[in-house]
Amino acid sequence: MKLRLIDSGGAGLPGALNMGLDEAVLGAVSTGSSPPTLRLYAWSPPCVTVGYFQSLEDEVDLEACRAAGIDAVRRLTGGGAVFHEAEVTYSLILPLGHELAPEDILESYRRICAGLVAGLERLGVEAAFAPINDIVVGGRKVSGNAQTRRKGCLLQHGTVLLDLEPERMFSLLKVPAEKLKGKLIEDVKARVTSLRSLLGRELDYAEAARVLREGFASAWGAEFDESAPTEEEAAEARRLAETRFSQSEWNARR
Amino acid sequence: MIARLDRKVPGGKLLRAEVEVESGRVLAASVRGDFFAHPEEAFEDAEAELAGLPVDRLAEEALALFSRAPLRIFGASPQDIAGLLSETAREAQAH
Repeated sequence: MKLRLIDSGGAGLPGALNMGLDEAVLGAVSTGSSPPTLRLYAWSPPCVTVGYFQSLEDEVDLEACRAAGIDAVRRLTGGGAVFHEAEVTYSLILPLGHELAPEDILESYRRICAGLVAGLERLGVEAAFAPINDIVVGGRKVSGNAQTRRKGCLLQHGTVLLDLEPERMFSLLKVPAEKLKGKLIEDVKARVTSLRSLLGRELDYAEAARVLREGFASAWGAEFDESAPTEEEAAEARRLAETRFSQSEWNARR
Repeated sequence: MIARLDRKVPGGKLLRAEVEVESGRVLAASVRGDFFAHPEEAFEDAEAELAGLPVDRLAEEALALFSRAPLRIFGASPQDIAGLLSETAREAQAH
């Protein structure tokens, strides 16, 4: 299969623009003006995202985020709160019926996540898809993924953790009671891992993006045609970033 | 009165229900959390239709609404959602 590849780069984009670009590409793929597309990206400033059905107010300490210069955005996709800092993020936008976008939602997660598993394998990391939406190594989560289906298209985005700082993460998320924070941090350390911890060395965006790209190519049989977003996509992404993903009408709707 | 209840679905996601009740009927109800629902709008339509339902029939009505095609929920079942909504509504009524 042929896929357009947009690598937005390790320098990262603001969260509202990342979410705007994902949706703008979805719009362009849905009308056929752009081909099926893989994006690779990072976040700058760091950003907390919450799932479509979550309340930003419930999940995120917005005051702490503001003080630390960290964005907070509600996603188009379901799932939980994620702190995006040391990670590589991908999004895949396909018309429904594409071989990676069968009607069965769990099956499409499985097929798409096989590309991430193959990428991790190239680093010597033995990972497995854990339904609904995780990829685990030795029972610990290293990647979370989330999918929505709109306008006749599938949009799945997800992250691979390069490093993990639970203390920093929980300084930005709301916890039910301050005295539980220590236990929650210990839980995350037991349940979540990162490539840095698995490999015992630093891994940057460029290296992680390259192995993921190789994994996607081998597991999906994909050939990539690398380009930038079209002018229309870039303009629509900016519009969505300004009018939706940085507005409380969207972010605080639930 | 308004009540809120959170429940972790065993092996699934966290549900946070909020129900406002007046004179034995639901005024507004929502379920937030880290679950997935497709299409997302169908879930919100079901939530909107909870308004006006009598509290003592909420469990069965909510089960029907959240089981309605094309809605599919991952990480919680319609039973989990309906059960928690009904419990939350009873809690709101008791205040």
